[in-house]
Amino acid sequence: MTKTYEIRDPIHGFIVLNEWERDIINHPVFQRLRRIRQLAWTDMVYPGAMHTRFEHSLGVMHIATQMFDQIRTRRNEFLKSELKFTDGGLERDAILIRLASLLHDVGHAPFSHAGEELMPIDSTNGKPFKHENYSAAAISYLMSDVIDNHPLNQNYAIKAQDVADFLNGSPSVGRSLLWRGLFSSQLDADRADYLLRDSHHTGVSYGKYDLHRILATISIANHPETGAPIVIVEKSGSHAAEGLIIARYMMFTQIYFQHTRRAYDHHIASALKRVLSHDGKQSKNGKITFPPPTCKENIESYLKWDDWRVLGMISEGLGGEDGKIIHERRHHRRIYETPEIPEESDLYYVDLICHRLGDMISFLDKAASSWYKFGNEDIMILHNGNRLIPLSRLSSVVGGLKAVNQTRVYVPYSRKNEAKQIIEMLQNGGVK
Amino acid sequence: MKVSLNLPWEKYGIIAELAYRLNHLGLRFGKTALQKLVYLLQELYNIKVGYDYSLYTYGPFSSELLSDLDFVESLNGVDVGFIPEIQGYEIFPGKANESVRMKAKDFLDTVSENIEKIINEFGDFTAKELELRSTIIFVNRDLISKGKSNVLGELINLVQAIKPHFSKDEIDQALSELEKKGYIIN
Repeated sequence: MTKTYEIRDPIHGFIVLNEWERDIINHPVFQRLRRIRQLAWTDMVYPGAMHTRFEHSLGVMHIATQMFDQIRTRRNEFLKSELKFTDGGLERDAILIRLASLLHDVGHAPFSHAGEELMPIDSTNGKPFKHENYSAAAISYLMSDVIDNHPLNQNYAIKAQDVADFLNGSPSVGRSLLWRGLFSSQLDADRADYLLRDSHHTGVSYGKYDLHRILATISIANHPETGAPIVIVEKSGSHAAEGLIIARYMMFTQIYFQHTRRAYDHHIASALKRVLSHDGKQSKNGKITFPPPTCKENIESYLKWDDWRVLGMISEGLGGEDGKIIHERRHHRRIYETPEIPEESDLYYVDLICHRLGDMISFLDKAASSWYKFGNEDIMILHNGNRLIPLSRLSSVVGGLKAVNQTRVYVPYSRKNEAKQIIEMLQNGGVK
Repeated sequence: MKVSLNLPWEKYGIIAELAYRLNHLGLRFGKTALQKLVYLLQELYNIKVGYDYSLYTYGPFSSELLSDLDFVESLNGVDVGFIPEIQGYEIFPGKANESVRMKAKDFLDTVSENIEKIINEFGDFTAKELELRSTIIFVNRDLISKGKSNVLGELINLVQAIKPHFSKDEIDQALSELEKKGYIIN
């Protein structure tokens, strides 16, 4: 019999692991997550927000497993007869889901998403790499020993590359792509965990929703328009699904896109740039970036960066002006913001403000550019046992929620009053 | 350093333009069609609007595009309405459709011919047909990016595994039609 271990978790109680998972958790790549804070400098506003990616990763594995088990129990026949899964394939997928969810965040930069601004451009698509690319590279380059060769893997022959492909949603995973809905969708285990966890640690109640009801009603069905198999919620869970979406909206507006928190995301990104410049890290175009996740040496060099190292360098005065600002809690101030859903006239107005304030502006922050966006991906609800209806149609509350597209203007603390006066004059029609 | 808003009007313009043209032709334009047509524009015609797509069982999908649709709707560039018969949403030109397209005029002028081509070739497909074709293209490009050649056999197997709700004949037929149009790299 496989030996198991329990870890006490503030959100889920006990999280149960086997020896294989314990060995992965003990790997230095995973232990690094103890030194990556989940919400960067959110503690400047909510002092309790000191939790790390380590506990979140355990929570995601716990929820993803519960979601998978529930779907497998409820829809076993559908999975086998319509989607051609076998018992062996489902056993293997269960393990892949646990490993991929456990390891999904190992590629995070220091200070989580704030550090992502320093990721280099991927020459294959012209866009910056994401932490997911670093996670996949860290797993495939550095974790094959603890995954491929573990004694508990004998019956499954799972390779580190399989876990990376599963996480990336690579077409090579074939029918198992169905489970991507548990990693990246409105109903995924990542969001399901971080809403509850971030709510708990910040001390707010905005992120709380009925996870147990979601778990009791999650299922799969064919999309009514295209026939594609998708993750859905049964009718009796529709209000819990509504609660989840409202929780996302509230956490976005109150925590993730909170104006002071976002100022510190800006400061840590700028301080990181300074810190990295001392380390001589430059991409081909001369910009200061982390090394790209394209070879073992690069990923090893990247993973040496964690919050501790950056804090040490900031403490030594290597973080430049932004490092000092963080140290003294003298962040740039939000001087103006559009409504959450701006109209065209609001856009003209913020453009006018930018023009008038000129180089007084330190940065513009757009909700659409924030990692924690509030978009409007829908959840399909199985209505009366046979009809799938979008939740946005069933719930007037969800139907009324729109993607947040707010823009904010920030100026240095020392120029706050000057900027305020200019905006007041504009509002009174005093500046032409 | 001067800071300005720099809104991506080319992205909003594409959404408004597709709604305008498809509506004008009397063709259905749902959220699935928007996702797949923009994907095909980016992939087949190299129109750089910058949406990042991931593959799901329901084909290539960009959450950013869905958020932008909301924003264009809030600018009245499009109206999004629920159609009970199909249990889905349909996108129509809004009262400020022209104004949104005008803001992206320079960009839309340069890609106008390709938008017309994509509508001629894919505009009257159903959501299900578009989903299959865009998945085939996605899997094809993924195999090629991994340095593989002679990919047709593997391509069919993977698409069949990802989309078990399509028969092998349906996949073969869609693939051969895309091949004839020169959209498959082998």
